[in-house]
Parts: sequence; C-alpha cells; structure tokens
Amino acid sequence: MSAVGIDPRVTGAQRYAIDAERPGMLHAAFVRSPHPHARVLSVDACTVDSECVVLTPDDVADTHPYGCQVRDESVLTRVARHAGDIVAAVAAPTRTAAREAARRVEVAYEELPAIFDPVAAVAPGAPQLHPQGARSAGEAVSIGVRPLPATNVCHRFRLVHGDIAAGFAEAEVVVQQAFRTPSAAHAPMEPHAAVAEWNDGRLTIWTGTQTPFNLRADLAAAFGIAEDRIRIVSEIMGGSFGAKTFVRQEAVLAALARKARRPVKVVLDRIEEFVTLNRHPSVIRVRVGARRDGTLLAKELDCWVDTGAYADCGPGVATKLGYAGVGPYRIPHVRVDALAIYTNLPPNGAYRGYGAMQSVWASERTMDVLAERLDMSPLELRRRNLLREGDVFATGEVMHDVQFERCLQAAADAVDYEREPRGKGLCVLLKGMQTPSRAAITIERRAMGYAIRTAACEMGQGVHRSLRLMGAQMLGCEPGQIEIDQPDTDTSPFDTRTTSSRTTHMMGRALEAAVRNLRAGDGERGYGEIHNEGGLDPDTGQGVASTHWHQGAAAARVSVDEETGKLSIEHLHGVAYAGRVINPEGAALQNEGALLMGLGTALFEAIDFAEGQVTNANLSDYNLPAMGDLPVRFTHEIIEREGAEVHGLGETVLPPVPAAIGNALYSLGVDVPELPLSAERILAAVDARKERLAAYEPSAASTTSTARREIR
Amino acid sequence: MKVGMQLNGRPVELECAPNEMLVEVLRREGLGSVRQTCGIGVCGACTVLVDGEPVSGCLTLAPQAAGRDVTTAEGLAGSDPVQRAFVESHAYQCGWCTPGFVLTAKALLGDNPDPDEAEIREAFGGNLCRCGSYVKIIDAVLRAAAELADGR
Repeated sequence: MSAVGIDPRVTGAQRYAIDAERPGMLHAAFVRSPHPHARVLSVDACTVDSECVVLTPDDVADTHPYGCQVRDESVLTRVARHAGDIVAAVAAPTRTAAREAARRVEVAYEELPAIFDPVAAVAPGAPQLHPQGARSAGEAVSIGVRPLPATNVCHRFRLVHGDIAAGFAEAEVVVQQAFRTPSAAHAPMEPHAAVAEWNDGRLTIWTGTQTPFNLRADLAAAFGIAEDRIRIVSEIMGGSFGAKTFVRQEAVLAALARKARRPVKVVLDRIEEFVTLNRHPSVIRVRVGARRDGTLLAKELDCWVDTGAYADCGPGVATKLGYAGVGPYRIPHVRVDALAIYTNLPPNGAYRGYGAMQSVWASERTMDVLAERLDMSPLELRRRNLLREGDVFATGEVMHDVQFERCLQAAADAVDYEREPRGKGLCVLLKGMQTPSRAAITIERRAMGYAIRTAACEMGQGVHRSLRLMGAQMLGCEPGQIEIDQPDTDTSPFDTRTTSSRTTHMMGRALEAAVRNLRAGDGERGYGEIHNEGGLDPDTGQGVASTHWHQGAAAARVSVDEETGKLSIEHLHGVAYAGRVINPEGAALQNEGALLMGLGTALFEAIDFAEGQVTNANLSDYNLPAMGDLPVRFTHEIIEREGAEVHGLGETVLPPVPAAIGNALYSLGVDVPELPLSAERILAAVDARKERLAAYEPSAASTTSTARREIR
Repeated sequence: MKVGMQLNGRPVELECAPNEMLVEVLRREGLGSVRQTCGIGVCGACTVLVDGEPVSGCLTLAPQAAGRDVTTAEGLAGSDPVQRAFVESHAYQCGWCTPGFVLTAKALLGDNPDPDEAEIREAFGGNLCRCGSYVKIIDAVLRAAAELADGR
C-alpha cells in the first residue's frame, strides 16, 4: 500500500505543537495559586537565579482584560480565582531550571471566601468572583451575553415558547427530577504547548489551537495592539476535544517572551492540564407534563451550569445546553432558564458535545421516568413526539432534513428493544452547530496539483484528509495532489473556528464555492466564503439556533450485579446522521471515538475536588477508557441520505451515551440521577429501591413489576 | 555520565544525568516518537522496546538502558508489517499514541504470533488512546498477525 512509510503518525515522524522550537528560546514554568480564592499581596523573586526572567503582575500592568465571550481574564491575575490560577511566570534556559525557579518565587496571599457549587453560588450572600461585573467581549461573541449584575451569573439564557402555565394545567401526568453531571477532563494525550516570539513589536505564536483567529483577537485585546500585529500558527494537535480553544497558555507566554526579549516555550505538565480547562459541571431540573396518551404538552428546564473561575465560552455552553435539553420533540409549551455561573473551580469550557451531554442526560432520563408513569414504552413515547420534517422547534425555527426517527429506530433495532426492553435504554439527540459563523478557503494552482489554504485545524479528526478528498472530487485530481499547510493567520483566510463539528460542513461548502470561483476565473486561483446566518435571542430563545442539526441516538444493553454495584455494558450502539459521508474510515473513527468518550463519561470520568483542589489530577486516578473497557459489543452506524448535504459528526454520539446507559439501569429499577454511574451510586440506588419496596409492602420479596412501577 | 546502548540498530553513547528518564534522553536525540504524556507509566505514549520488551520511557532511568538494545518507532523504518497493518486498518486519529501501540503490538506478536481479542486487550492494558481508536487497533493487530503468518 502506497501510504506505508509516508504516514508520519505510524513512523513516529509526526510533529505536534509540543515539538515547536525557535532559536535561542527559553522555557517557561508558571507559578500557580495554591488557594481557590485569594488576593495576591506580593510576589518575591529575589532568590531566583539572575539568568531567569520572572514575570509578575506589575510587568503586565499595561495589558487589558480579555475573554472570548466575557472580558474577565487578565494576563496575570492579582486575584487568584481557582487553585492553579497563574499569578507569576518564569523563563529559564531549560525546563528543569524554569521549574526550580518557579518554586523559588514566593507569593504572599490574603485568602478570600470561596464557593464550589453552582447552586450555592447564586444564593444571596455567596462570595462574588467578579464583583466588577461581567463585560461582554462585544463583536467576538456570537451570542448576546446577559450577565446578572452583582451576582456570580455571567450569562442567563432563557427560552420561552407557548404558555408554560397553561401547558402544565392541561397536563394529566407531570414528572419532575433533578440530575447532576460532574467536571471532566478532556485529557488530550498531548498537553497544551506553545512557543511565543516577538519581533519588532510583532507577536508570533506557534501553538496547538482549534481557534487561531479567536486567539488572535483576544491577544490583540489583551496587548492593545492591532490584530495584524499578531500571527498565530496552529500546529497539529495530539488530540484536543475542546481543550485547546481560545486563550489558554498563550497570553502569559506572550508577556513572558516580551519581557525576556527571547522566544519562550511552554509545555504543561499533566497535573496542570487538570486546572487549565475542564467540562462544565451542571445541575439540571426537568419538569415534563403530558397527556395520558403520551402527547408532550409542557417542559421546563432549570440549569445551573458551573463555568468555574472565568466565563470562557460558558455563556455559549449554557445556551446550547439549554436548547438541546428541549430535545427533538414537538412540545407546545416550553420554558428554559440556564445560568452560566462563576465558582472557584478551574475554568470550564468547550468539551466535545458542548453542553448537550449534560442536558440530554437529564432530559432523556426524564423521558423514561415519564414513560413509566404513563405505562408506555419509552420508545413509543419518544416516537409519538419526535420532530418531523417541517415541524417548528421551540426556538421558532422550522426543522429541515429531520432524521431523528430513523436514528432512534436504528438504535432501538440494534439492541432488539421492541422485543425485550428490560435491561436496555435509549436516547435520542438534537444538537446545534455554531450559528452564526463564517468559513473561507482559497485554492491555488500548483505545478503538481493544487494548494488549499484554510484555517481548519487538525487535531486527529482528519479534516485535512476530508478536504483533500472533497477537493479531489471537485477538481478532478488525486487527493495526494492537494497540499494543505497548517493554519496560519497571516496566510489562511478567516474561519470562525474548528469546533462544533462544523468544519467538514462549512469548509466543504466554502471549498465548493472556491472551485466555482477558480473555474469562473483564470483557473489559477479560487476563493470561496460561506456564512451561516442566525442566532438566538438570549432572553426568549427565539431565532435560529442552528442552520444544520446534529442528530443521533444511542442504545445500551446492561446488567448489574446488585451485590457489588458492578455495571456491565453488554452492548453499546451509537447512531449518527451524517447526510453524506466524505471519508468513511475517518467517519467511523470519529463515531467510535465519540461513543467511547461517552462511555467514559457515563461510567467513570469525573474530576474530584476537595475544597476546590483537584484530588485526582493524573491519568491513574482519573481514568480514561482503555481497550479493556470496550463493551462486549461496541457497534455504531452512520446514516446517510441520497442527495443530502454533508453533516458534521465529530461529537454526535457522545451526548446520548450516558442517558442510554442510565435508562437501561432505570429499566432494572435502578435510578441513578448523577454521573458517573459508579458502583457506589448504583448500590445506593439499589438500596433506595429496596427501601421503597419495603415501605410499600413489608414482605416485598415477591413484588410484581406493576407494584414496582407505581411506587418508584 | 555517558550511557552506551544499541539504539535502533546502531551503537550510541548518550550523555545524560544519572537520574534522567529515558524518555527525555531519547527526545534529546531527536526521537520525537517517544512522547512524555502521563509521566507515571499508565498511558504508554513513551513506550520503547528494551531488549524487545515494551517499557515506559517515563519510568525507566536512562542508565538502566546501558548495554541494552533499545528500539523506538523510528527504528522500524516504516516498512514493518505492524506499521503497514496500522495504516491499512486506519488504526489512529491524532497519532500521538500510535508509536507506543505499534511497539507494544510488535512485542505481543513476538511472544504470541496468533493472539485472540482477549489477549490483545490484555496486552494493551498499558496503552491509552484518547481518540478512542481501539476497534481499529485490534483490527490492525489481527491483520498484522495474519500477514506475519502468511509470510512465514
């Protein structure tokens, strides 16, 4: 096979952000607050070797607050808002020397009251993290940010559809339950890494990032310079999953390089990864009302979304979490209230699924509770209410290319749900794509083929291969005749960012436009640009949530050892609607990868905190799915439709996995409302069920399934 | 201090500190396939073969490799049947962990030329792939075993 010997991933020749080097560069280490909330009183570096450069808050007094959605971050903070917040930095000739120097920097703190729970953080009298109030980052934000003044709420998203009171008044059956999800680590194998260098007042950063243009805009705001004075080169990433987005290590690194007058490189340690960016913990209360025949009438969602010490893209996550929680259903009366809330945990941000997992976990678990109350099959209840082509969603938009029923049925069939639903669970997913957004691409004719310039970032999802395959088909050449360089904001045309499973869809359409432009012109150069217009009103949730829907489903078959709480996944199946597949092998890998990450989320992934300190910040205590965790049967499918456009699928099957497994447990009478589904929680749920049965009938050993159903 | 070893088939003397880990020394030699990742020997991304056995470069002191035969992915030259099988099975996404999986697969197939799926799962207990490419990796190992059997 011709690819052998040239795929650098298999020979070990692949280079990543961690391999970036510049002549004469120094190495950075960060000084991090040990306290979850503390004012920096002084930074004393007098015992640090003179060959080292120490950056303190005084060195960045000329910089400005920045943030992708709320300008609440500083290059170096004078108030640490989470354990691990960076308060000083050191550059030294070697990484070891930098670490040693960082240990010698003495910081005096005044500890402040801290808060770690999002519900408590909105209670009156809670310590406030950003008392100056949240300021919107303005035009860089694609949603209107709605902070609540003098609270820890940096964004409130509301959706109002119909008349919620009337809906519940009409309902014959109402169920309500609250669910929780924990923080989780993206844990890309490659840690965050970057090199920063200044030349004549111009900054260049080589970094692993999914968001080169957003990073450039944020750094321009922070350093008070024009965007064209900054160049971002996005290196190939050894995984990201949302972790390498917006400003992470880059701002402090740039300030350090500025002071050192030398290029500076940083590679984070694994322990630092756990305080850099995590997944939003959440508390979600769902209330659903229906008619006896299973017709959904009303749904309320109250969501407390913990964005940690800084907003990052928490407002966007709370928004998407909010409307994804409505689910792919026709519901005449809907009310959603989702709060993005500051706490003294490390910042939380984009994580494969972007909030959808959290609310889908809660909502789709509630559907099975409702089905039981109605004495109806959970599959039938869903089918009866699923959105169909041309239906109006709760946001007011008309649904198009609707495939929810196909996805759900495929999932049900994979586990033979209709024959025997016991020990099995289903979940169906609606998830939006970044809207509005913009993608542009250029094609240039070369002696041996074509060169494509794009800001589409490669992190293992195979976007460059997909673009080569699409380009080859459109241009009538071989994929190998198309060159694609890494994104470089100096030479790549603008793209909103490589997130939200949007790139194959958006950049593919931009490529079509560029090929048309090339053909219409001299055949040497083509430019294509695509906009998707829309957005939601943050106060009503009305508008266009997404110009393109990610649709998927999952099914699980499980068994439980009620003595030990051990949960065995006998079969896990994920279904994604892809429209049209470009790269079949890549699509299969993305689908399997998302399904497996969903399995980790469901079964064991959680960052544990004690008073704001991460207590499992390593890959031994924080478990990632290993080969041995693959369920006995681990299957997936990708649904296509003749003539459909390309749909993204990098995230689709992750969010439905926890609810599918949780519902399978529920079908066995084990009701666990909090992720992950640990043996301890399962045992507690088994005990709770036994207590309920005992309360219902003292000699409960022979309880019928009907009795169980009524008293749960 | 200097440590002599056979590295990817050629004798070398590497300068290192007595307490330095093998992963750091090999990276300094330009062997970028050996990747410090978890630092505690659970992820396998810094796997190298020492006398044919997979070890974690982050847990092995460089002097422990003295006099040994050390192989990294670069030493396989891209033509190894295991590497070919990984390409043909599309058994990677970002590729960060791939050299470690390839070397572990080499060692497994050296010990057990015809592993079943359970034995493969067991052998890769110390290799993590966050992209989640395990299904294709198992396929690649089975493919490599079949190709090696055909070639014998």
